Amino acid sequence: MSARRFSLLAAALLCVSSAQSQVVPPAAPSITNLTLNGSQRVLRWTPFPGAQSFKIFSTTDLRQSFTEDTSGAVSGFSWTGTNSSTARFFRLDTTPLDTNVLVTATVLNRLAYGPTPALLDRFKTNSIDLYIAEQLAPETVTETVQNQHTNIAFYESRFAPPTTPVSLTSGTTAGVATIDILRSWFTLRAVGADRQLLEVLSQFLDNHFVTQYTKAQTYFQIYYGDFNMQNRVATELEYRELTRWRNALMSPAAKFKDLLTISCESPTMIIYLDTVSSRGDGGRTPNENFSREIMELFSMGVDNGYDQTDITDMSHAWAGWTVDFVAPTDVFNPLATRLLATGGNTVSNVPGSWAFIFRTNYHGTSRSIFTNKFVPARFGAPWTTRTYANATPGSYQLTFPARTGTNAIQDSYDIIAHLADLPFTQEYMSVKLCRLLVHEDFAHGYDFTAPQLTPEADLVRQCMMAWETNMPRGQIRKVLDVIFKSDLFRSHTAAFAKVKTPLEYTVSAIRALRVSTNGTGLHGSWSSDTDGTSLATPLQRMGGMVLFDRAEPDGYPESGAGWISAGTLAERVRWTQSLLIASGQTGHNGSQSGTGNDASNSATSPVRLMFARLPLLADQQHAAKVADVFLGLLFPGEGAANLNLYRTAAINFLNTSDDGLSASSFSALTPSATAANAYDTRVRGMVAMLMTMQRFQEQ
Amino acid sequence: MPYINTLTRRDFIHRSLLGGAGLGLAALANVPPFAARALAEGSIGLNGKKLLFVFLRGGNDGLGSLLPVQDSAYSSAIRTNTLIAKDGATDYSATPGIADFPTSPGGTATFNYANAIRLGNGFAALHPSLKFLAPVYNAGDLALIHRVGYPKQSRSHFDSQNYWENGLPNNNVSKEGILYRTIIESGLASTSPLSAVSVQSALPVLLRGSGAALTNLTDPLRYDLLGVPNIISSGDIKATNALLNAQSTPFPDKKSRAFLSLQYDGLLKTLSIFSSINFTETGNTYVDDVNTDGGSNPYYLFPTSQAKNGGYAFNGNSTAKYVVDQSSSSTSFFAGLKAASLILNHTDAVIAGTEMGGFDTHDNQGGATGAHANLQQRIGWALYGLRKYFQIYGRLGSAPASGAKCAWSDVVVVLLTEFGRTTIENTSRGTDHAEAGVMFVAGGGVKGVGKNGRVTGVVGCHPGGTGAHLSDTNVPWISGPANQAGSVDGSMFGISDRYLKRSVDYRSVLGRVIRDHLGATQNQLNRIIPGYANEAQEHLLTGGTVTTPIESSGVNTPIIGEPDILV
Repeated sequence: MSARRFSLLAAALLCVSSAQSQVVPPAAPSITNLTLNGSQRVLRWTPFPGAQSFKIFSTTDLRQSFTEDTSGAVSGFSWTGTNSSTARFFRLDTTPLDTNVLVTATVLNRLAYGPTPALLDRFKTNSIDLYIAEQLAPETVTETVQNQHTNIAFYESRFAPPTTPVSLTSGTTAGVATIDILRSWFTLRAVGADRQLLEVLSQFLDNHFVTQYTKAQTYFQIYYGDFNMQNRVATELEYRELTRWRNALMSPAAKFKDLLTISCESPTMIIYLDTVSSRGDGGRTPNENFSREIMELFSMGVDNGYDQTDITDMSHAWAGWTVDFVAPTDVFNPLATRLLATGGNTVSNVPGSWAFIFRTNYHGTSRSIFTNKFVPARFGAPWTTRTYANATPGSYQLTFPARTGTNAIQDSYDIIAHLADLPFTQEYMSVKLCRLLVHEDFAHGYDFTAPQLTPEADLVRQCMMAWETNMPRGQIRKVLDVIFKSDLFRSHTAAFAKVKTPLEYTVSAIRALRVSTNGTGLHGSWSSDTDGTSLATPLQRMGGMVLFDRAEPDGYPESGAGWISAGTLAERVRWTQSLLIASGQTGHNGSQSGTGNDASNSATSPVRLMFARLPLLADQQHAAKVADVFLGLLFPGEGAANLNLYRTAAINFLNTSDDGLSASSFSALTPSATAANAYDTRVRGMVAMLMTMQRFQEQ
Repeated sequence: MPYINTLTRRDFIHRSLLGGAGLGLAALANVPPFAARALAEGSIGLNGKKLLFVFLRGGNDGLGSLLPVQDSAYSSAIRTNTLIAKDGATDYSATPGIADFPTSPGGTATFNYANAIRLGNGFAALHPSLKFLAPVYNAGDLALIHRVGYPKQSRSHFDSQNYWENGLPNNNVSKEGILYRTIIESGLASTSPLSAVSVQSALPVLLRGSGAALTNLTDPLRYDLLGVPNIISSGDIKATNALLNAQSTPFPDKKSRAFLSLQYDGLLKTLSIFSSINFTETGNTYVDDVNTDGGSNPYYLFPTSQAKNGGYAFNGNSTAKYVVDQSSSSTSFFAGLKAASLILNHTDAVIAGTEMGGFDTHDNQGGATGAHANLQQRIGWALYGLRKYFQIYGRLGSAPASGAKCAWSDVVVVLLTEFGRTTIENTSRGTDHAEAGVMFVAGGGVKGVGKNGRVTGVVGCHPGGTGAHLSDTNVPWISGPANQAGSVDGSMFGISDRYLKRSVDYRSVLGRVIRDHLGATQNQLNRIIPGYANEAQEHLLTGGTVTTPIESSGVNTPIIGEPDILV
């Protein structure tokens, strides 16, 4: 074959339905290699995202049209045909996946904790935009999660509103919830909730406005000698802020300012970042911890519009925001007086609540922050030309009027309102939401006045415009809507571009195999389920993800590199394998090697799921059809051509005996969903293999 | 299967480097990592030298570790609750050279001495909880470097940790680690399945990079896969082989996909290596070779349980005889430290390390006891224990472990932390984020007191001005900020300015270790730490005054260049 013909081979043709504006479509696949091997002719090409099928066309004369070359067969990303003596020109045709299928997968991976079989079925025929609209308005979605596992009602009976005193004893009544209960409740909802975006955003907010349960629990040691009491009190504070965020998100006009206010007023935050002990009166040096992190991490973003002077200036204003023990009716009254002298353990036997309390005598005097600072030119209009807290356009200096006594509490509320309005905050929060929902490569600091914005910078600017121009400013749903409608979100750039966090990984694994086998949706009917509690240890092992207990104030990472290493992958693989081992078998409970339980009370029966989708016995014994059921559930949004090699591996696995060496025909096994049955074991092993592949780490 | 731990299978772009374009890294970026060995420079990985790192996360209060007790401003007026008192019976201005070592014989509590421990250079002292550093220091195996930082110091944890780890001050885009680049320069990433290891919850930026998957273990005891089907004898084989085979499946390029693929390869190639090392608690039999701390028993070197915590078990379960605080965070730290040590001693890994958190002591920092003191106990015992472990159980040791590969003279231990803390206490009885801090560097090859004529192992914390320690010409004094009276007398406690300024750049310390210990050439070092390639402005090698544009406009900072800390 001449060099001239070889170069022609690389001119592959691609049929892609539509290129997204601004977003660069993936490069067309090209034939990169041709080898002649005796009587065989082998073509190889580069993979293409979402390829549904590859076909090879050929001709002997370029003046003639190409016809499909059926003299060979496609396997993965190669084609092998007969090496006839005639020289031929070859062309590769790629049929891409339907873009709706792609977007459906992205939506279910981002707005939800991964697809379930029922959701995939629903959006085969319905537009996924319906789901987006529902999820953006959770108050319109009927929630059924409480029917799915009896633990949810059990846990919820332990929670109490903050106006109920924390129980002084353990027991079964309201007010006895522990942190373990809160975690279990939270993960059970992630698995089963109909309002999936609400759950995703709850985790996002709790992680963004990060607090640490154990810091509060430790703080209460000075008041309670009993660890269980410390636990209950600290848990209630985590539950209180979480509930307030969730309630806010149920409101159509929820604003970032509301969410920031909840965080600032949260006693567990006041304890976590040490404002509780800070004093700014009498020339004292206040604690800077909260003052720094509220700007660096919770609103503006690091090095984005503030400096050490602002941190120091602002720390005086936060001084006085403390936590104290009050009558339950005063739990949202920061000017209430303490219930009684709270020295030592004197509160131990008194019913009451811990609340944010403003101590006027600790408050420091700040006159202004962001003194002489102007919105940088890189933001452009309208941010550089509008006014903020003073009359000068572009200036964001915030000056406090002289306030005395309890009036001085307003200093900090001025700060909250101001931070929530600043372009820096609009930018940083938009970046964080894009990292959550699109891909991780967004950063603050774009020059929004550049003539040609990158798709990422452009999307952040669109988010900021939605924040800025819809009144009142800062509405979360307006920003989310922009993201969900964006080309970037709906393109290959976002699809499978993120690595699942441990929470996303474990919950999505359970959801992927989860159907109600009798259709009731009730406890016990699910082909895949967890009690919630059993996810805590796996999350900890997969990189130290302990919910409500992050030590560092930056929250758990949104980036794959923050989670994925050989050690954490080993834990992910082990947990998945354990999940797929039948309950009661070695490796599910108890250890096969190493230490400790893996899946524990998280369990799945892939065969029960598969029986519901392949009712015919002949299909159940058909290795390829069985493999296809799970490929479709585990890797929606990927084209069949790209999954070809996984499919081959799955079929081979089904046709190999348990020793991994000899052939063993799958069709000879009698279908059964009974643990330790050869058929059940074979399918479990195959599903475990697919779910431990790197593609299941992606979303 | 050859051990190719680098990305050869997929066409992968160095995203992190592109993100940090214009950093003078183009030379490295253009070298495919698998070809890096062809550079054939230096002897990293060939000379048997190793590095053990511990990142102290949160910002260790350097002024509360290495105490400038003779500083004119060392006073409870500014550190009411966090100051370590001087011992009235001790003359801290004396210069015996070696440190005092207050042992606690018999029933006396291990940490009964609550005053500053004199270091013998006429100026500095140790926090009393660091007392186990004294034997290491007096053997000349420890350098204590004060006032370590970098230009335009960030007081953000996450920025500053990133700079310490990526070796690029003020670049928070690059997530490529300084030790990752060291491994890439060594060429080991393409020839050895295991070159650098961390034992912690996530792979630190220090070891991250796009071209090779360095290894992080979360729990060495669980670094093993299960089998589905569940046959003990062969179930793992079917599952693992299926995983291995399918892992070669190509997919179109995506963000994260090449990275995931590398890490999967790393997992599958290193599983067998670690299974040969006994990481179990019962396997932790490593004990001191002398009776420790004036007691009648040798203590365990890695206190991974209460029973192995100092003299506790030997003294009728006396909690007063702990060598470190007994807590889960302490035992898990020492379990990680032990694992890192075993890996260096039993594998060809050149770099291993772990991390310790809890240093962000904004609130109730404590003085001679308390949160900060507990952390200092761990630092002190960690370095004491590491020295003994490698001296006894390492290559050339008195009771070498089977197959031991690493002697104490082969290893340098570095402790990193993102910043020091404010000179003045806040109203929460804690200290806030500040600038320069302390680095601890230990090892048989460290040039401490008594080695090569060195009269002290302290750098950057000794008498200044007219009281300079003239006998120590290797560590020139650079005056600190103005004192209360406005004059420069070398005070390390600014009053209106609460931030201790640097006189040593952390890159000069790491650079010296990477070149003179690990065996990088200067050219390699210029790529590993790009600041070295700009000596005229950065002054990392020989010191000088750093000005704009490296520093902020109007700021001039004299630094000493590389401290003389290796024999």
